[in-house]
Amino acid sequence: MQNHGRELVTMLWRILGNEQDVCDAYQDTFLNLAHYNRGQKPEHVKAYIFRSANNAAISMLRRRIIERNNLSQVNAAGRKTSVTGELNSVFLRENLRGSIAQLPEHLRNVVTLHDLAEFSYTEVAKILDITPATARVYRCKAIQLLAVWMNKEKE
Amino acid sequence: MENRKTKNNCKTIRAWLFKLINSRIGLNADWVRNHIAHCPRCRKRLALVGKVELALSVIKSQPHSLDLLMRANAQAIGVLKHSLRNTPKAQKLKAVLPEPKLLEACGKYKHSLANAVACLAVLFLMKIGIFSSMEKFQTQGSRAVKNYYTTHVGQEMADEIFSA
Repeated sequence: MQNHGRELVTMLWRILGNEQDVCDAYQDTFLNLAHYNRGQKPEHVKAYIFRSANNAAISMLRRRIIERNNLSQVNAAGRKTSVTGELNSVFLRENLRGSIAQLPEHLRNVVTLHDLAEFSYTEVAKILDITPATARVYRCKAIQLLAVWMNKEKE
Repeated sequence: MENRKTKNNCKTIRAWLFKLINSRIGLNADWVRNHIAHCPRCRKRLALVGKVELALSVIKSQPHSLDLLMRANAQAIGVLKHSLRNTPKAQKLKAVLPEPKLLEACGKYKHSLANAVACLAVLFLMKIGIFSSMEKFQTQGSRAVKNYYTTHVGQEMADEIFSA
């Protein structure tokens, strides 16, 4: 908490955009760490914390999207009207969050760590146990997919 | 040892290649710009990618409340064992506020710092006599040039040139 708390909260906030959810995902992350392998310390604590937080946050985000999709027709209509204003920042944010939640895990991890947690490619590579070049390629693929999906949702 | 040397060479070559490729086929290269200007497909793709980047920057620019870290810490500590919950470190974490890193905090002073370092460097150079030596080199150089003119065009002409 002392070493990575600030970065972790920033990343969770950017993924979730809701303070209570951030606190819940943060708590889940440290609970997972405390119960990891009968109280043993993982080999790479930072990698474990960030990957665990990422997974917790994405699960919450997916749940939230499903709940939102199950809401009444009135809300759906409200969302559609926001589509008309392309520069509506709330819509842009939610659209991107929804698309990130759909990404395959290996691409999603790179986007959340590099773009939302603002880690360098080297740090991302260390956390995900891949090379920096692979991280760059994954990020590029992820952005292309997000671009296509965000456009589809708009249409 | 040799292995490490080869690895370093590979790294350098990769870095050069990356720079070279970036300079040739980066988005700012002229031929890429010309192509984009005339290709609707590329323009559309770029616009879509730009939209994702815009959305990312919108997400990044959304601030959270200042006490979020404190609340998150308090909630996470609240479910730990009683013995851990009451440690002084835990109490400190419950009251912690996000503070910028040292480098970020010093970022606004970097220009003043650079100026101060430059001044110190000038003072140091003066102290070790670099400037006086440079003056000496200059006078000796002009004397040598004057000698050259004296031997080739005569004393009077040389005096005239150097007195001007």
